[in-house]
Amino acid sequence: MEKARHTSLWQMIAAPIVWAVHFCAVYAWTASACAHAGAAEEARLGVALMTLAALGLIAVFAWRAWRQWDLLSENDHVHDAPTDGHRRRFLGHAGLLLSMVSAIGVSFVAAPAFYIGSCL
Amino acid sequence: MQDEDAQGSTTAPRRLCWGGGALLLTACSGPQSVLDPAGRDAEVLAVLFWWMLGGAVLLWLAMNGLFFYVTRMKERAFSPQAADRLIVFGGVVFPTVVLAVLLSFALSEMPRQRDLGEGLTLRVTGESWWWRVEYRTEDTETPVISANEIRLPAGSRSELELAANGYIHSLWIPALGGKTDLIPGRETRMSLEPVTPGEYGGQCAEFCGESHAKMALRAVVLPPEEFAAWLEQQAAPATPPETETARRGQAVFLREGCGACHAIRGLGARGTIGPDLTHLGGRRTLAAGVLPMSRAALEDWLRAPEAIKPGVRMPAYGHLAAADLAALATFLEGLK
Repeated sequence: MEKARHTSLWQMIAAPIVWAVHFCAVYAWTASACAHAGAAEEARLGVALMTLAALGLIAVFAWRAWRQWDLLSENDHVHDAPTDGHRRRFLGHAGLLLSMVSAIGVSFVAAPAFYIGSCL
Repeated sequence: MQDEDAQGSTTAPRRLCWGGGALLLTACSGPQSVLDPAGRDAEVLAVLFWWMLGGAVLLWLAMNGLFFYVTRMKERAFSPQAADRLIVFGGVVFPTVVLAVLLSFALSEMPRQRDLGEGLTLRVTGESWWWRVEYRTEDTETPVISANEIRLPAGSRSELELAANGYIHSLWIPALGGKTDLIPGRETRMSLEPVTPGEYGGQCAEFCGESHAKMALRAVVLPPEEFAAWLEQQAAPATPPETETARRGQAVFLREGCGACHAIRGLGARGTIGPDLTHLGGRRTLAAGVLPMSRAALEDWLRAPEAIKPGVRMPAYGHLAAADLAALATFLEGLK
């Protein structure tokens, strides 16, 4: 499993996928909760739960990317050789950076629900 | 001679620059300016604007300062560690923190704009190309109908229900608050809390057809007691004409069938296609903020409305005898 990682892009883009799903789910849920019931608190609770779940998932993917990057054992962040090891670690490095961006994105998408307490 | 030329060519752009700057500054105040707020909601927007502008100016100066520093003052190669640190802090940490702070600030200012009104409710319907305005309070059984002018009491939050007939419009009174679209088949809303009594300009802010640019309105903010008195006066039927000319004007109004489209409560006209004219003469403007409310303007409008507002549905009455037209204008102006 660990060895096949140098061929798979999934680990790298897993966190952005979480961000994209969270984005769509938050918009759909808020629209539905507000249009059907006008239930602002329900909408906000849903957004909060989805956001916690998304951040949790991103943290898991970030941890796995960090391990795949394996920075500490080699202390080198240049991975430009055409070898399996460099490819694997490059994907891990990129995956970690994308996880950070995704976490920021998820937080910003959820921020309005934190401040605005009504469906209006 | 040569010196003069050289001088002329350097001062001209400078003068243009100062002139342009002064011109821009004059746009900051006035009855229809976002930067000259007269209501709670416009204040929030102005505060947001100034903070965002301040932030943008600081960032611009910092970025260009940095460019200047590395290209003109310290022209040397950075160590890889220094470059890494610059990228991580300058490119990741700093923008994230700045954006988070600005976003949080903007969002924390927004809930106030979503507050519900507390008493007075206006229903504003976007027509082609004018505004139908209805006022409801807890005391009134039937709404008080008016047009092309929005009056609000200062110091309290009023609810505005927004609808549209035919095309999408957008209601915007910059001195009082943000804009909201009026959409056919849907009901949208906004609320406004004016603070300073006065007269402010409003405008349709969504292209809606031929006379979009001529679909303006006047917003009049009154002290609460004055507003209550005004609303009571608006609810009353029209006062019958008192002079001979005005009576002749009323006869022309009825003979020409104006009542098929316009209502004048108390005088038998019940049309609902065009604006309610019961208290037309008491409004500040004519034809949705396009003309002043005067007898001469009324006559011009009656003679050739199409020339003033392209695409208007009102037919022209230029074929009437001059005396009839003048009498009609006098009658309408007298509907205070």
